[in-house]
Amino acid sequence: MLRISELVNSDASLISRRCWTDQAVYDLEVRGIFGRAWLFLGHESQIRRAGDFVQAYMCETPIILSRGADLRIHANINSCSHRGLPVCRADHGNTRRFICPYHNWSYTVEGELSTIPQENALAGKPDKSKLGLKRVPRLESWRGLIFGSFDPDIIPLEEYLGDMRFYLDAFLGRFPAGIEFMGAPHRWVLDANWKLPVENQLGDVNHGAFLHSAIIPREAQDLIEELGYSVVTRPGHGATFRLMPVDAPVDEVAWGMEGMGGMFGGAEVQEYLRDVQANAAERVGPLRARMKGLTYGVYPNLSFLWSNASFKVSHPRGPGKVEYWSWAVVPADAPDAVKRVLRTNYSSFFGPGGILEQEDSEVWVQQFKGSNIDFADDRPYFYGLGLGEEAPHPQLPGLVSVTANEFYARQFFSRWRDELQAVESGV
Amino acid sequence: MSATASPVQQRALEAFYYREARLLDNRQYRQWLELVSEDIRYLLPARVNVQVDNRQRGEEHMISVERELEGADSMGCPIREETYMHLMLRVERAYKINSWSENPPARTRRIVGNVELMARGGDELSVLSNFHLHYARPGGDSFLYSGQRRDLLLENAGDFRLRRREVILDYADISLPTLGLLF
Ligand code: FES
Ligand SMILES: [Fe+2]
Repeated sequence: MLRISELVNSDASLISRRCWTDQAVYDLEVRGIFGRAWLFLGHESQIRRAGDFVQAYMCETPIILSRGADLRIHANINSCSHRGLPVCRADHGNTRRFICPYHNWSYTVEGELSTIPQENALAGKPDKSKLGLKRVPRLESWRGLIFGSFDPDIIPLEEYLGDMRFYLDAFLGRFPAGIEFMGAPHRWVLDANWKLPVENQLGDVNHGAFLHSAIIPREAQDLIEELGYSVVTRPGHGATFRLMPVDAPVDEVAWGMEGMGGMFGGAEVQEYLRDVQANAAERVGPLRARMKGLTYGVYPNLSFLWSNASFKVSHPRGPGKVEYWSWAVVPADAPDAVKRVLRTNYSSFFGPGGILEQEDSEVWVQQFKGSNIDFADDRPYFYGLGLGEEAPHPQLPGLVSVTANEFYARQFFSRWRDELQAVESGV
Repeated sequence: MSATASPVQQRALEAFYYREARLLDNRQYRQWLELVSEDIRYLLPARVNVQVDNRQRGEEHMISVERELEGADSMGCPIREETYMHLMLRVERAYKINSWSENPPARTRRIVGNVELMARGGDELSVLSNFHLHYARPGGDSFLYSGQRRDLLLENAGDFRLRRREVILDYADISLPTLGLLF
């Protein structure tokens, strides 16, 4: 029997291959991490009107996220109380009832059981108030981002996010009406472990110069690394970004300008982006106005790619499979034509057809193969780059370092280890 | 809107698509790019599982393919919406030593068929075709891509240039290694 303490050493500079492949480890992850964390479900812009719904997942558990007739947000497990079928099959939509195909039990959009067709023929009437869909016990949102948790006693979402809010707000707070998600997520399935996409988006900026060198010129990457910071606000939560010089021209700082849409999408788009940047200091303060983000991660499996405007979730499907979701995000107040251009900042390079992300998808799959081989268990992966070189910073919350320092990954794995050990020992 | 192709024209269209398929499968991507007009729009709509609308019961539209597509005009997010510049990036990438997801290079073979002229307006032809594309990856994996291409071709002295292509891929869940191929 594997013990978690043998998989990650004390400073998390050595990570066992079994962390990525072992079924027993995965079972602990499901209970010890996904059963206890705040998990990202969606954005409020996806369910604006009463009756709107979208599908979501909490680990492998299918969730319906909906806006009730009361305009409140609801999250329920998508599984009928009668025999367990999913009661909702569409990716998104608007409805008053979810009707189960098998025997047509129907549920309200809030998740209450509404009718049991068979009961008319029977004397006994089941208590419907106890037979609704199973509710996600905790549901909270912050700045439009909706999270759920299976742990009824979890700390409030804002406390969980902690100082990560400082960095998230540098983006979310930049736009007068916040952001919105465009359309259904792109979802694709890879033979990889869920943690590698997470690690990649948590702080692995420096692979750009190598894995992506067919597309990203060395000089561009050098500039990124020169101005780049990597921070960890709490193990598992982190951000990387550039802090642009105070006198940098607006076009070099403004979010969106460096994407294909921003560069080639026309004058209206560029004017919009310059306008946002012109008001950024007022909205998020002078320091964060100079921030030009790269990657973000919120423990355990939410990522945000600032430079290519997308939110991503890495949904586990067992140790060796992941369903990766990503959405294009755009400023909510932008004209429709501008939104349609800005979404290409994401899709040009990322997503299942992305010129850059096809490379990432490939290495995530190859890493899982490498983790699975025999006769290499005595060679854990080396996570020691930059060990101990991170430090607090006078202006930036969290531990701060250069982007080459892999402390973001060590911090992730020390939290991961501690949480799995807690469930392993029955805490 | 409808148009019938003469036998000569039908043969010319098919010959164009066969040549295009050969160039792509032979990895002669630069030559392929010469078949493309510089104002091209290359689109791959996202395909979603939509809610059945009760009010459309019994109607053809209830199960139409169109309802499932998040294309360029929608407020959803197409998987690809590219210009000539994107295609140039993809083409040139193929000849670099560090295009890792195609290392070894993409082994593809496609069969193009069901070529159908749908409409003609001036020198612009609207043409549909279907494809099956087999893609072999190292490690024993191989994949079948199936789809329809909705093209706008520019006709010039018996030859064609691709001005718009919309690729309707027949996927429900994407378990293909990349949708970044040239279809
Ligand atoms: S399984 Fe849902 S109604 Fe019977
Ligand atoms: Fe990458």
